[in-house]
Amino acid sequence: MSVEASAPQLPTRDWPGALVLALRLAAVMAFVAIVVQAAIVVRARPQDLITGARGMADIIGRAMPPDFARINVIWWPVLETVDIAIFGTLGGVALAVPLAILAAANVTPSRALYFAARGAIGFARSVPDLVWALLFVTAVGLGPFPGALALSVHSVGMLGRLFAETIEHMDMAPIDALTLTGARRMQVFSHGVIPSVLPSLTGITLYRFDENIRSSLVLGFVGAGGIGFELLSAMSLFQYRLVSLYLIVTFVLVIAAERMSALIRARLA
Amino acid sequence: MLQVRDLTMRYPTGKLALADFQLTVHPGEFVVVLGGNGSGKTTLLRCISRMLRPTAGEIWLDTVDLAALSGERLRRARLPMAMVWQQTSLVRRRSVLSNVASGALGRYGGLWTMLGGLPEVEIRAAYDFLGEVGLATLAAQRAGTLSGGQAQRVAIARALAQRPRVLLADEPVASLDPEAADEIMRLLKHLANEDNLAVLCVLHQLELAYAYADRVVGIRNGRAAFDRPACDLPREEVRQLYLSEVA
Repeated sequence: MSVEASAPQLPTRDWPGALVLALRLAAVMAFVAIVVQAAIVVRARPQDLITGARGMADIIGRAMPPDFARINVIWWPVLETVDIAIFGTLGGVALAVPLAILAAANVTPSRALYFAARGAIGFARSVPDLVWALLFVTAVGLGPFPGALALSVHSVGMLGRLFAETIEHMDMAPIDALTLTGARRMQVFSHGVIPSVLPSLTGITLYRFDENIRSSLVLGFVGAGGIGFELLSAMSLFQYRLVSLYLIVTFVLVIAAERMSALIRARLA
Repeated sequence: MLQVRDLTMRYPTGKLALADFQLTVHPGEFVVVLGGNGSGKTTLLRCISRMLRPTAGEIWLDTVDLAALSGERLRRARLPMAMVWQQTSLVRRRSVLSNVASGALGRYGGLWTMLGGLPEVEIRAAYDFLGEVGLATLAAQRAGTLSGGQAQRVAIARALAQRPRVLLADEPVASLDPEAADEIMRLLKHLANEDNLAVLCVLHQLELAYAYADRVVGIRNGRAAFDRPACDLPREEVRQLYLSEVA
């Protein structure tokens, strides 16, 4: 048998070269069309950016130097922001754990509860945290509490889904083995399930905390306390040097939360 | 003593996996069940350990028929029966010592163990069981860091923490290299002959059965093909076991 005959057949392209070229051109044109229509719809006018540059420079000039003397009065809103994130995250965990157990296909007690829990988790995620905050401000009034509630509910959307996935991907062999040693259900849960999933759940929670710090910064814009509320007040009172101080504090806060959560998560892995 | 009488298992699919199976394992005896893929040997072990409910038959563990029980009564009756699994069955995030001690949980019911605690007595006992499988030095390590052979020995130590009279092993050396496999088989034989446990081990490697078993039971199409002392087992008969699978 000749070498050519035994060599595997290369896949051959049935389409003629001209057609392939035309298709590629069409793909490029389609992409350009998408970009152009987006620019038209958002009414992008670069010249406005150029004429507006002076106004922006003016504001930045008036914001300098940051009003560091006020650092002793802003620590309270900063603490409020951090605590909104802490409460929001822990509240989210408290709501997400039972929902995740119902929404994990391998442990859910019934199909109906599975779909109900999945629906609730999806709904919590699809409504933005700002909208939740508006709703809770209407319900319990202005202040940090509606912000914390909004984060709790919105966090369930992500925490519930990732918790459920963690439970679904759990190695069942140790669980079956413990059950067969004669351990009771509660013992199997506390000695087998908890140690298996706790590191992942803690990692997800820390990641969510870091996101919630960022969310809680803007929740104040709708009256839900914290730095956002003070930032908006300072803006409307033209206190730009205070605004820049808040922005610096925000930057430090976000980076610190991000680094801390990443560091702890790396240790858990 | 473990005694299986007329054990029959028919799956909901209609497949007859076990038919009128008879088996007795005495204390101090190391019995190997040998069979090819799909011969019913894993079903046999799953029925004896009552992970499956057999269609018919009796499973006598000393004076109790496990086949007739369920729920809390089954849990209690099954306590003297420990199991070693084919795949790693340790909680990877916990220490080796905690994994071993958790084998004893079934005999405790207090709040402390319900909330993830281990009885002080059992932690001390776990050291001894780890020593018995030769791994006392690894007590503080996470179970996830062990090699396959070490993990299987720790699983045996956990089975011992259960204080069993009967030890079941489902292809305990399937994923191990030959050296580690020999160690596990030696350990199981030692537990039977020296510690007076009734050990029932399912295998498909006939050489290991020849080397370690006191008695070998051949299983083919869910029926016992032979039941003989390992020293009186013609190789031709064993080969028949695997031939029928091909045919």
